[in-house]
Amino acid sequence: MWRRSASFILDKREDASSQQEPLTLSPSQITAPAMTETLRNPSTNVSAYYQTRAAHYGVITSDWLSQAQAAVGQHSVENEVRSSSSNAVDSGSGRPFSVIEEFNNWRKQPDLAEAVAAIRALAAVIRSSEATTMMELEIELKKASDSLKSWDTTSISLTAGCDLFMRYVTRTSALEYEDFNSAKSRLIERAEKFGEISCKARRIIAMLGQDFIFDGCTILVHGFSRVVLEVLKTAALNKKLFRVFCTEGRPDRCGLRLSNELAKLDVPVKLLIDSAVAYSMDEVDMVFVGADGVVESGGIINMMGTYQIALVAHSMNKPVYVAAESYKFARLYPLDQKDMAPALRPIDFGVPIPSKVEVETSARDYTPPQYLTLLFTDLGVLSPSVVSDELIQLYL
Amino acid sequence: MPDVHSLVNEFILKLKKRKVEGSQATARLAAVLLRSVISQQRIGYTNQAGALIDAVKAVGEQLVAANPVEIAVGNIVRRVLHIIRDEDLSLTTAAMAGLNLSAVSDDDDDDTSPDDHPVLSAAAVAAAARSTLRPPSLQSLLEDMPDSAAVPHTSSSGGDSEGKSKSADKNSRSRKLKHDVIEAVNELIQDIDTCHEQIAEQAVEHIHHNEVILTLGSSRTVLQFLCAAREKKRSFRVFVAEGAPRYQGHLLAKELVARGLQTTLITDSAIFAMISRVNMVIVGAHAVMANGGVIAPVGLNMVALAAQRHAVPFVVLAGSHKLCPLYPHNPEVLLNELRSPSELLDFGEFSDCMDFGSGSGSPLLHVVNPAFDYVPPKLVSLFITDTGGHNPSYMYRLIADYYSADDLVLQRKAAPST
Repeated sequence: MWRRSASFILDKREDASSQQEPLTLSPSQITAPAMTETLRNPSTNVSAYYQTRAAHYGVITSDWLSQAQAAVGQHSVENEVRSSSSNAVDSGSGRPFSVIEEFNNWRKQPDLAEAVAAIRALAAVIRSSEATTMMELEIELKKASDSLKSWDTTSISLTAGCDLFMRYVTRTSALEYEDFNSAKSRLIERAEKFGEISCKARRIIAMLGQDFIFDGCTILVHGFSRVVLEVLKTAALNKKLFRVFCTEGRPDRCGLRLSNELAKLDVPVKLLIDSAVAYSMDEVDMVFVGADGVVESGGIINMMGTYQIALVAHSMNKPVYVAAESYKFARLYPLDQKDMAPALRPIDFGVPIPSKVEVETSARDYTPPQYLTLLFTDLGVLSPSVVSDELIQLYL
Repeated sequence: MPDVHSLVNEFILKLKKRKVEGSQATARLAAVLLRSVISQQRIGYTNQAGALIDAVKAVGEQLVAANPVEIAVGNIVRRVLHIIRDEDLSLTTAAMAGLNLSAVSDDDDDDTSPDDHPVLSAAAVAAAARSTLRPPSLQSLLEDMPDSAAVPHTSSSGGDSEGKSKSADKNSRSRKLKHDVIEAVNELIQDIDTCHEQIAEQAVEHIHHNEVILTLGSSRTVLQFLCAAREKKRSFRVFVAEGAPRYQGHLLAKELVARGLQTTLITDSAIFAMISRVNMVIVGAHAVMANGGVIAPVGLNMVALAAQRHAVPFVVLAGSHKLCPLYPHNPEVLLNELRSPSELLDFGEFSDCMDFGSGSGSPLLHVVNPAFDYVPPKLVSLFITDTGGHNPSYMYRLIADYYSADDLVLQRKAAPST
């Protein structure tokens, strides 16, 4: 049973969202029954964020293979493409424009970060908007971003991306451009460049992070993070000699995927089951993790298990480094583990579980800042306390 | 030109032979040297800032390579580079503002700007220039950045903004740039000279009546800090740990007594025994790293641990020239230097133990005499710099003020060449 946290922040947030539902273009209004597959609000059962992740990074397991062999290989893929393109056509012609569909289309691209998809979707809102003043446009954008945020409350980078873009719109437009149309085109242009910015951010982080990897060190990695992979890749390309321990990363086994990628780079990898972290911590020189979101306290929200690894590392005096792009900085201040909307994710235990037995299906945890050593971001190498400073500067 | 060259070589030689030591002395000499490098550098009409930066960088690399332990030298090189960029920017924006006024008025007349380009130019250029200096932030993440400035490693020394402006009065501007830079370097030198007094001014805020202060070894900053409190009629006692193997604590104790302070001399090994009677630990530092960690004279980590054990505030005094923008994990940060064993042992008495001729060919007795300790940021309660008191986690902010991101990698080029 999910315990309500003592703080009522979350409760208030839920109230607010339920009140807003009729005002905003909530997904349920737009969703025609036929579109259940793509537009079903996923937060009831499984986190959409983790569904996407699973689709993008899922490791091919044996049961998946058997399923795939049973089906005709190409067919399903074609189907999906066709359905997504037909969605796009539909949204163009038939029904009014929907941010969520747009977002979903962008989200399908495996190389695109969630925040980038969000900002692209908001750019599409600007493009299709018929507003004639900045104020109208802002209101429209606000509605769109609210509906996006409420569609998937579990994705922190989606929220952070929306907030960042909204902040950019309100801060710059009014001051620098007198002409509404030029401001509009400017916003769209910047939004479309954001994908590039995010790639560049990853490269900067890789450059900064690889300095901390020294020859002969052993790095423990938890979860599959593109940034962490990029850091390790850069270090390997720079002829650093190091060894990586990958946790298995149950339930989606993303550690296996990371170890595959690292093996391709000829980096020595050892796989650990998630419970072997403390056992092997004495061999480890540093812990590297990515982050789903970096919160205002400087702590991170990341895949389940990060907290316990950070605790073990802290008690053994090993540094814990976090690699995260700065657009993952979110204005959240979780007070404890249960203080966030839980992102749920099914867990396959391989055997049937009796219905009386509860299963903890939350997909991520919160690691408080005192257990983190440094954050590698595209803003530089930061100590956790800098995060709040950056956020305050932006949202002041 | 040859004049500067010989000056540089002389200083490098001094650094290599450890003739000049101590962060303040080396920092000051480095700043003076760089000032003469700048003043003698002949600069062309275009890309003047670039030329200056290249010259300073070239000299800086040599200086840093000469004695990497003196982190202050590298800091000063970076500070001077930052000054050049800063002055160049302020000149460019001033020129831009002039150009812009005319450009905007033109636009108003014609009213033919379908593209946003001319309207943008002013803001965009200013933003671009700003982004080269200001550390990247969330605010500027979505703002327009020209590609050259966006990635710190590929930026071609900030000279491109210079090239863009084709103002007529280049001659006067080149002289102005140099003049401004030298002026600013002079200010920097003055800052280094007066940092002790500025730190000492804050002494009364931190030292109270009847307190017991512990310090280890000798630091001019600490001496002045304590004396300043004494002059303001605070009565307090000082415990001085002698600071083996150089025993500089003895000198400090002598000086403190000469100025009428109640002083107690203790051995380094008595620190844990005495710490429970201490109200505050005040020490100097060799360098302060970007994460708030301190490179300090050997023995201070022990003091810091003792202070933490007994919840005694551990205060570090450091002039701003000791702030280093690098992390202790960076490979170019040399954390330690091994000094001569003669400070520990008398060669005469131990000569037979260290006889290379007998036995296996290597002596049985080894003497290791490291000069520095690394104190992790979590053990430090407060930094007092010439700008005031700061938390260790705040160091990044000061560093962002003093250095520009492009200069941090100064030493990476130096490493392979040496």
